[in-house]
Amino acid sequence: MTSSLLEGCSRRQVLQLLAGSAACACCGSVHANKLAYDLAATEIASGTWAVHGSTEHFTLENGGNIVNVAFIEVPDGVVVVDTGPSRRYGEALLQLIEKTVPGKPVLRVYNTHHHPDHFLGNQVFKENIVAAPQQIIDNILSEGDGFADNMYRLVGDWMRGTASIAPTVALQDSTEEVGGRKFSLFYLSGHTSSDLVIRDDETGVVFSGDLAFYNRAPTTPHADINIWQESLQSIAVLDRELILPGHGLQDNTGESLEQTSDYLNWLHTSMQDATGLGLTMNEAMELPLPARFRSLDVVETEYKRSVVHMYLALEDELMPLLEPK
Amino acid sequence: MLKTIQQVIGLGICSAIYLGLAVDAYALDAELPEDPLNSVMWENMASRFFPGEVVIDQRVIVQGPLDAENQMQVPITVDATQLDDVKQIVAVADLNPIPHILTLHPTRAQAFIGFRVKLEQATPIRVGVQTGDGVWHVNGVTVNAAGGGCTAPALAHGLNDWYKTLGQARAITRRESEELARLSVRLQHPMDTGLAPGIPVFYMNQIEVKSPAGDVLANIEMFEPISENPTLTLKPLVSDNVDELLVYARDTEANEFNYSLPVPAITDN
Ligand SMILES: [Zn+2]
Repeated sequence: MTSSLLEGCSRRQVLQLLAGSAACACCGSVHANKLAYDLAATEIASGTWAVHGSTEHFTLENGGNIVNVAFIEVPDGVVVVDTGPSRRYGEALLQLIEKTVPGKPVLRVYNTHHHPDHFLGNQVFKENIVAAPQQIIDNILSEGDGFADNMYRLVGDWMRGTASIAPTVALQDSTEEVGGRKFSLFYLSGHTSSDLVIRDDETGVVFSGDLAFYNRAPTTPHADINIWQESLQSIAVLDRELILPGHGLQDNTGESLEQTSDYLNWLHTSMQDATGLGLTMNEAMELPLPARFRSLDVVETEYKRSVVHMYLALEDELMPLLEPK
Repeated sequence: MLKTIQQVIGLGICSAIYLGLAVDAYALDAELPEDPLNSVMWENMASRFFPGEVVIDQRVIVQGPLDAENQMQVPITVDATQLDDVKQIVAVADLNPIPHILTLHPTRAQAFIGFRVKLEQATPIRVGVQTGDGVWHVNGVTVNAAGGGCTAPALAHGLNDWYKTLGQARAITRRESEELARLSVRLQHPMDTGLAPGIPVFYMNQIEVKSPAGDVLANIEMFEPISENPTLTLKPLVSDNVDELLVYARDTEANEFNYSLPVPAITDN
């Protein structure tokens, strides 16, 4: 290990390198051909594995692996919930599934919503098994290419060969049986215009997608806060054993729902106040965060992004229309 | 600058006149401080928009996001209230196809303005504040953006009857102290840059805030990079008996819009 190789790397990146961990995008060409997601499966319930991402933003180092993906062994095969941020991730996920549940075919892939970290691994799966509500399919068809382009900009070479592929199976029933296991499907929204929540009726695991975040600040680029709050209520009253949120660790108490709701409530109220005071977006971005939210991962940056997401609509709502003179 | 001198020396027996010119150029160059934002456009921007003496001044506070979350609406706030005798505030985006964003003359207003801008790509946002002695106090921020903000059509063009709400205004006015109001106003306008295919240039190019007596408190010249539906935040100085502000706006097609905004008494805050 020469010192010149390490120049410009953060201490954490250097430690990763020394620990022999997968890739150090910071060191560029040395590892350019070795970008690899170091995916690990954590069994969170019987025959149910979570593949946890980091709780950061998209970076050149993490390759967009900031998301929770899951797979479930059912009697005749495997069911997958979300597919990660890139084709390369999808390939690594397939390998992990084959290693964990050898010899069983993937029978169904669900997309919980159209955000890029949740569906851009779709292309490694057979087209006729990838499913979502029609609105999610439409959202992917209209915004997916733009998301993929943006992901190339944010995480670079990790995205090579990735294309936006929309699900071909439009879900509309409230339950479906896949390979001998019954799943309940809940058609909610609020994080985006369509958020699919899936419950494995055998284990009681609820896959909430990004309606729940856990110890990681929620993202709001397509959010409708009031509807999101209603959806959180709906999940809260579901018969369940465990929640796997879209970002953060699994939650067996429902705390992720309360935390997400509390944050969104504060965010909404404080943005209303800021708009009402005529603060500029920049001034609103500098408002102090309540102590209870400061430990949420990436809250400082997510909060600033949310100001931009929410301000225009709140101005429509709260700035009085003037009569021309 | 060094290069200029080397070139001159390299000429060897160059004429005195030539040498004189070069030295003058050097002297002028030398007055331009180094660009804290490291932009290749710095000298160009400075000579175009801040002609004369330039100082980098941290008292000019420019707030802008590191990353443009929505590059059609990138919020910028300028606070130069630590400077006295501010004559004008000029905001430019170095790497926009049209750099000039706006010029504010805060005749009877604090040296403060909030606005939103369309960015074509990552660029320094530079603000020059000229004081009564002619000096430009310059500061700025660099904002990252993906691309296409100036050449994309306004969202309004997706609507059939956008022209019906042209010039429609929303506003919030507040009294921050006995002599100071805060005014946030949003005016409906597509702010077409002329760079989107098939859409000619058409933008709101002037906003004036006046007292009921007709005194100009602030005058803003706006240019193409200002975001669709310009939203401006100003701090006009108002005496405590003034309960109204007048807003006049005009666009490049000579459409004119007039509004009256009540200024609540301080107890109403
Ligand atoms: Zn999401």
